[in-house]
Amino acid sequence: MILPTAGILQNQIMKLLKTLVLRTSILLIIVSLFAFTAMHKFYVSVTNVQYSEKENSLQITSRIFIDDLENVLEERYGVQLDLATEMESEEANHYVEKYMRSKLVLSTDGKDRAFVFLGKKYDNDLIICYLEIEDINLPKLKIIEIENDILTDMFEEQQNIVHFRMNGKKKSFVMVKENNKGMLNL
Amino acid sequence: MKKLNCSLTFLLCLTVTLSFAQQEINKERESGHSNQSKFKQLYEEFATPNTYRSASGTPGPDYYQQQADYKIDIELDDKNAKIYGEETITYINNSPDDLEYLWLQLDQNVRAKDSKSPLRDEKEFSIAYSSEKFVKNLMQKPFEGGFNIEFIKDANGRSLPYTINQTMMRIDLPQLLKSGGQVSFSLKWWYNIPDHTIDRARSGYEYFSKDGNRSFVIAQFFPRMAVYSDVEGWQNYQFWGRGEFALPFGDYEVNITVPADHILDATGELTNRKEVFSREMMLRYEQAKKSYDKPVLIVTQQEAEQAEKGFSEDKKTWKFKAENVRDFGFASSRKFIWDMQAVKIGNKDVMAVSLYPKEGNPLWEEQSTKAVASTLKSYSAHTFDYPYHKAISVHAKNQGMEYPMICWNYGRPNEDGSYSDRVKFGMISVIIHEVGHNFFPMIVNSDERQWGWMDEGLNTFMQYMAEQEFGEEFPEDITPNKAYPSRRGAPSKIVPYMRGDQSTISAIMSNPENVYQLGPNAYGKPATALNILRETIMGKELFDHAFKIYSHRWKFKHPTPEDFFRTMEDASAVDLDWYWRSWFYTTDYVDIGVKGVKKYYVSDKPTKKMKDYMTSRGLTEASFPPMVYLVDEESEDFEEGLRDKSPSETSQDLKEYMMDNMTAEERSQVEEPKYFYEVVFNKPGGIPMPIIVEYTYADGSKENVTYPPQIWRKNDQEFKRVISSEKELVGIVVDPKAETADIDASNNSWPKKEQNSEFEQFKQNIKGK
Repeated sequence: MILPTAGILQNQIMKLLKTLVLRTSILLIIVSLFAFTAMHKFYVSVTNVQYSEKENSLQITSRIFIDDLENVLEERYGVQLDLATEMESEEANHYVEKYMRSKLVLSTDGKDRAFVFLGKKYDNDLIICYLEIEDINLPKLKIIEIENDILTDMFEEQQNIVHFRMNGKKKSFVMVKENNKGMLNL
Repeated sequence: MKKLNCSLTFLLCLTVTLSFAQQEINKERESGHSNQSKFKQLYEEFATPNTYRSASGTPGPDYYQQQADYKIDIELDDKNAKIYGEETITYINNSPDDLEYLWLQLDQNVRAKDSKSPLRDEKEFSIAYSSEKFVKNLMQKPFEGGFNIEFIKDANGRSLPYTINQTMMRIDLPQLLKSGGQVSFSLKWWYNIPDHTIDRARSGYEYFSKDGNRSFVIAQFFPRMAVYSDVEGWQNYQFWGRGEFALPFGDYEVNITVPADHILDATGELTNRKEVFSREMMLRYEQAKKSYDKPVLIVTQQEAEQAEKGFSEDKKTWKFKAENVRDFGFASSRKFIWDMQAVKIGNKDVMAVSLYPKEGNPLWEEQSTKAVASTLKSYSAHTFDYPYHKAISVHAKNQGMEYPMICWNYGRPNEDGSYSDRVKFGMISVIIHEVGHNFFPMIVNSDERQWGWMDEGLNTFMQYMAEQEFGEEFPEDITPNKAYPSRRGAPSKIVPYMRGDQSTISAIMSNPENVYQLGPNAYGKPATALNILRETIMGKELFDHAFKIYSHRWKFKHPTPEDFFRTMEDASAVDLDWYWRSWFYTTDYVDIGVKGVKKYYVSDKPTKKMKDYMTSRGLTEASFPPMVYLVDEESEDFEEGLRDKSPSETSQDLKEYMMDNMTAEERSQVEEPKYFYEVVFNKPGGIPMPIIVEYTYADGSKENVTYPPQIWRKNDQEFKRVISSEKELVGIVVDPKAETADIDASNNSWPKKEQNSEFEQFKQNIKGK
């Protein structure tokens, strides 16, 4: 029998599961995912938001399954991008950026903040998008909000995990279609 | 040079000894402890060797295994997705024990309505469901699966009493089955075939709504004998769904009746080929037997597409005979395209075969049989010549499942026939993996129910080698990659798992039902552990020999983990108990670093440490013969004058020693070391591993040293080395080629490298472009 490689994403979920079990009652979201663990496909993305004091910026990485993203871009924009292949379209970055802008919104103290789309990279089945929000002045901020709808327009079961790491604090959210916002009080 | 270094080392040793002697013991008396050494032999973990299984890892003089021979008649009802069967089992008791009852496995019962399997996992409502998932999970009637046993009769036609406990069935024998005796009995049954695409059953059908056909991949379709052995007695651990199978070897005669327009292949030799093949197919088959470089189509896509429309009401029986196999599987559909080619294995021809619906093309006609042939060659070279006459790869959606001589594999192109590299490499990898399972566990027949890693781990390790060899054999198939992009096997790939949350990691030596993540646990980690063992710990020559010995010793037999562990040591003279203990019996991880480097200079003046020592013992300098002292650059003894001098310049005693003990010529050839370092390595991780070090000197030259794992035998935390060199040391890197699965590289360098975050690295890379 062969099992799909349970990569970084699954590890992240396991970790998160544990913290959630210990901490809160949002547990129910995840359990159904584990009924068959590695055997079944996960509809999951993992986004890390980290504050860089040096750059005075929020540095964001989003890990998304390539095939899921490709499917949604095809469905949404009618383009075949052949991501991570030799035939990858020159427009791939444009569409990935466009999609990310429409699905991932961060705001600080109530104001939407545009990110710089630095680019993308592939790691096995995953695409990693690198985004940065500049001039963040964290010490003066009170609230950071994130709205994450990655792939929920395509997959009902999509779960988007967001980890915030700033000033030594860590906070994690699991977002689904009906509950797509997370708020961090600083 | 050598002489000088020796004497320096001697003197240095003395200093170290002296400093040790200084330490006073003024702690409270501690209590004792048992032997906690990570290098302790595994006497407590291993079963005691006996006459069944020897301490060398070989089958002992009294080793035995049972035999189960089957004669089976099967009818496949395509229209209603049902299967009917009648079998006669002849069970031969080679054990020294007399048996009161027999245990048979009813694996289909895992899908019976009263199965406990779906009940054992925790379930809660999701916040939201797709309609499809909602209907499936909350609205549908459960599938009416499981065996319906019609009768069980002895050789004289008398009913035999039996008891079914979930997926296991006990047949009570009217009289003892004596040691050395045999018993025959017959069973009749039927069951509903599941749609394997719904819950990833290991066998079943896929329905193609466009043409109304099914494609069947059928296994676990008959009540099968459980294994009775010296280790488990009856292996009747229930089939819950994850832990695979434990099966005795035997000879099979199986007749399979299917619609007349089906194409079918199965475990074993087709004995009535002329009855089921058309004349055209026979001619093509004869051609295929002589085609060593590319497959020959036995059934073309055009013919398969024609057959899809037939829905014949007639029947045809395909007859197979297989010797010394542990199981039987078959695939049948009117959708199948069929190709074959010959592969030379040793001095024998083996047929590499593929069966696939048109939905698999063009990928399948391009890659499947090629991958089968390449796998047979690679695995044979590393173990033993593939002993069966054929190996078949069947395309079934989302499947990756192995049976003797036949396996089901995924990898489906888009509807327009296009496919990405991910689909292609996924498909080639799964074919290599499943065909590879012929060796482990179909032939080297470990107990999959208890030890998932013994076949999955060994096979994933072999798969990695076979993939790399596939890439070397067909470079044009893997471009633009330079090496085959293997997903498991390379040490770096297991790091995220091994540094993960300890509460969700199990030791490899766990039952597959009880581990958190079966993929990394039973496949990735053992495969990586063996890969590291081969490339870094033992070396390819010693490993390959021992691995081959294991394969030969246990082919067509039932090995245990100890048989494997013992053989690898017995055939190589490499003590590996520490390796098995930490990689297989614990969830420890590898993390070794360089903690610090101190610079020393040679002096003939006693250092403060030496003076303290002398004072404490009431000694004076005169009490010692002339000595050479090493001064720590950061200590108060250090003087600038010591810098950039050779030892004979700063130590008069050393100069005189050299004058007295070396000829002028020897002295002229000596290159005196100018630089002296004490390096401290540390080990935050639990696994003792060799320290692989790359030293870099000021002139750019590099020196690679590997300190064996035994350095950790007395101090499991820290390890010091001294270096004397003519050149200034400017850098140290531990595990420079990332070959040990070290989970934290941030402590692997001196001077400490600024570890950029993944984000910073990416940002720098794109700026560089």
